Amino acid sequence: MAAKVVHLALFKEEQIDHAAEAIGRLHELGISDQDISVISGIPYSERILGRPMSWTNIGRIGLAGAVLGFLVAAFLNFGTPLLYPIRVAAMGLTPIPTAIVVTFELTMLGLLISTFIGVFVETISPSFGPKGYHPKISDGHIGILFSGPAQLDEKIHTSLSELGAELVHEVEEEKLWL
Amino acid sequence: MAAETELMQAAKPVEHAEEDPREHLMFDPRPREEMNRMIMEAMTTTTRRYWIWLIGLGLAVAVLLFGAWGNMILTGIGIAGLRRPVFWGVFIVTFVFWIGISHAGTFVSAILRVFKAEFRRPFTRAAELMTTFGLAAGALYPLIHLGRVWVFYWMIPYPNARWLWPNFRSPLVWDFLAITTYLLSSTIYLYLPLVPDLAMARDRTKGWRHTIYKILALGWRGTEAEWHRLRKAIGIFAFAIIPVMFSVHTIVSWDFAVGMVAGWHSTIFGPYFIVGAILSGVAAVVTILYVLRSTMKHFDYFIRVEHFDALGKLLLVFSMAWAYFFFNEYLVSWYGGDAAIKQVLTLHATGPAAWVWYTMLICNIAIPWLTLWNKTIRRTPWAMFIITLLINVGMYAERYTIIPLTLGHQRSPFDWGIYNPRLTEISIALGTLCLFMFLYLLASRLIPLVPVWEVQEGQMAHRLRKVGKARMPSVTELEE
Repeated sequence: MAAKVVHLALFKEEQIDHAAEAIGRLHELGISDQDISVISGIPYSERILGRPMSWTNIGRIGLAGAVLGFLVAAFLNFGTPLLYPIRVAAMGLTPIPTAIVVTFELTMLGLLISTFIGVFVETISPSFGPKGYHPKISDGHIGILFSGPAQLDEKIHTSLSELGAELVHEVEEEKLWL
Repeated sequence: MAAETELMQAAKPVEHAEEDPREHLMFDPRPREEMNRMIMEAMTTTTRRYWIWLIGLGLAVAVLLFGAWGNMILTGIGIAGLRRPVFWGVFIVTFVFWIGISHAGTFVSAILRVFKAEFRRPFTRAAELMTTFGLAAGALYPLIHLGRVWVFYWMIPYPNARWLWPNFRSPLVWDFLAITTYLLSSTIYLYLPLVPDLAMARDRTKGWRHTIYKILALGWRGTEAEWHRLRKAIGIFAFAIIPVMFSVHTIVSWDFAVGMVAGWHSTIFGPYFIVGAILSGVAAVVTILYVLRSTMKHFDYFIRVEHFDALGKLLLVFSMAWAYFFFNEYLVSWYGGDAAIKQVLTLHATGPAAWVWYTMLICNIAIPWLTLWNKTIRRTPWAMFIITLLINVGMYAERYTIIPLTLGHQRSPFDWGIYNPRLTEISIALGTLCLFMFLYLLASRLIPLVPVWEVQEGQMAHRLRKVGKARMPSVTELEE
C-alpha cells in the first residue's frame, strides 16, 4: 500500500483559535481524527483544539516499576536475613522499622526509573497518524499534519488559507533521531 | 477658604502608584522565535573571560580536588586532621553541606510546579541543574572519607568471605539508596522538561552540537502524544520527588541521630536538617541566579527582580523555620539536664570555636531577619547575592558545629580533643566547590538554562483583565 501524502498547515502562535477552527473544517471535509496530527512548540490540551484525548501507559508502567521496587525491597529486607541469618541476643531477625526505610527508597526508585523508561519506550515505539516536522514548530508555530484524498486538495487549500495557514504540501518524514 | 481647599484636597482619593505589569516576565511576552534566539545566543557566546574562568576552575579541580585526594590516597588518611576523638571532620561536614544544597534545587522546582507558582517558570532548570551537580560533588565524599577508596566495594553487603554479613538494613545502606534514588530521579527530572528545548537547539545548530542535541532530543516533534506523555511523566516526578527529597536529608540526619552521641541523639534532627537544607539550597539558587543574570547574555530578560523578591520571601520563611527548629532542639536538649549534652552546648557557645556557633546564628538568623523583610533589599539582586552567600556560610558553620565540634567533647572528659582541619581537607573541600562551578559553567554553554517552552506557555496563560478601574493579572488554566 502506498504511503499517504501528508500536508502541513502552519499557524502562528497567536492564531490558536484559527488552528482549532482549521481542525473543525478538516472534519467537515471528511478527514477523520486518525488522519490528523497536531504538532506544537508548547503543550495545548486536547480540549483547546477539539481533538480526542491522547493515550499513554506511563502511569501503569510507573506503577509496575513501583511494585517491582517494592518486591526487591521485600527480598533484601526479609529474604536475605532468612538466607544468611545472624541472631544477636533479643534483636529481631527481620525488624520492620529499618525495613520501611529501604522499602520506601526502592519503591520510589522503581516508580521513577520505570516512568522514565516508559517515556523512552513510548517515544521510540512506532506511532500512527501522519508524520512530518517543520523547524518553525519549535519557534512556537502550531502545525496541523493531515492526509486526505487528492480530490479534496483544492478545497482544503482554500479553506485553510482563508484561516491564515501557511501550507506545506507533501511533507516528507524527516529522520529526527538515530 | 484656604483651609476649605486644603480639606477638599485631603478628601481626594489617593492615587495608587500602579506597578508596571511589564516588570513581570509573564506580562512582558516576546515572540517564541526571539526567545529561542536569545537563549541560543546565551548558550553559544563564549567570551575570553568565560574561557579564563573555565580553564582556571578546571585547573583548580585538578590540583585542589584530585591532586590533594590523590596525595592523600598515596600518603594515607593520616595527613588529614582526623584524630581521636574526632573522626568525622571537614569531609563529612562538606558532604552534608552539598547534599543540603542539592536538595532545594529539585525541591523548589517540584513544589512550585505542584502548587502552580507561575514565577518559577524561568529558573526551574537552573535550580534543577544545581541539584545534579551538588549531588555529584557531595557523592564524592563517602569515597574520599573512606581513605582506602580502592576497597570501597567491601562496604557492599553481598555474601563474602570478609565476615561482613549481608545486612541491607544498616544506615550505611539507607544513605547509599537514598542518594542514588535522589541523584537518578533528579537527573531524570532535569532531563525530561529539557527534551523540547533540546529539540529547539537541534533545529538551530550544526556540527557536533546538532549531533548531540539530535540524540538527546529523542526525535521530539511536539506531537500531542509526546506532550501528553511528557506532562504525565513530569507530573509523576514532581509529586514523587518531594517525599524522596524529604527522605534523603532525613536519612542524612539519621546518620547522626541514630548514634548514642550527646548532641546528636535527637528525634527532631530529621525536620531540622530538612529545613536547613532548604534554607541553604534556596539561598544557593538565588546566588546562582544572580551570577547567571550578570554573566549570561539576555538573562536579564528572563531572570528579573520579581524572582529575587519571591525567593527572598521564601528564604525569610525558611530562616524563621530553621530558627524555630534550632531553638526547639536546643531547648529540649538543655532542659533534659544531661551533663554531657549541657557540656556540649556550653562549649558550642563559649569554647575555643564559639565563633563558628555565633557565625551560624548571625548568618542564618540575624542577617536574613534584618534584611529580607525589606522589599527594596529583596529587589536588589547584588544585595540578595551577598545575603545568600552569607546564609550558606552560616549553614556550613551549622554543619561544622554539629559534627566535629560536638564529637570533640563527648561523655568521657579524658577523651576530649579539638579538631583542626589540615590543608588536605581544606583543599579537597575547596576543590569540590570548584568542581561544582566548573560543571555549571560547562553546562551553561551546552544546555538551554531557561525552559523556553515553559516560559512561553506561562506568557500565553497570563493576561491583564480590567476589573473596575484597575487592570488585574489573571491566569488561564491551559493544562486542563
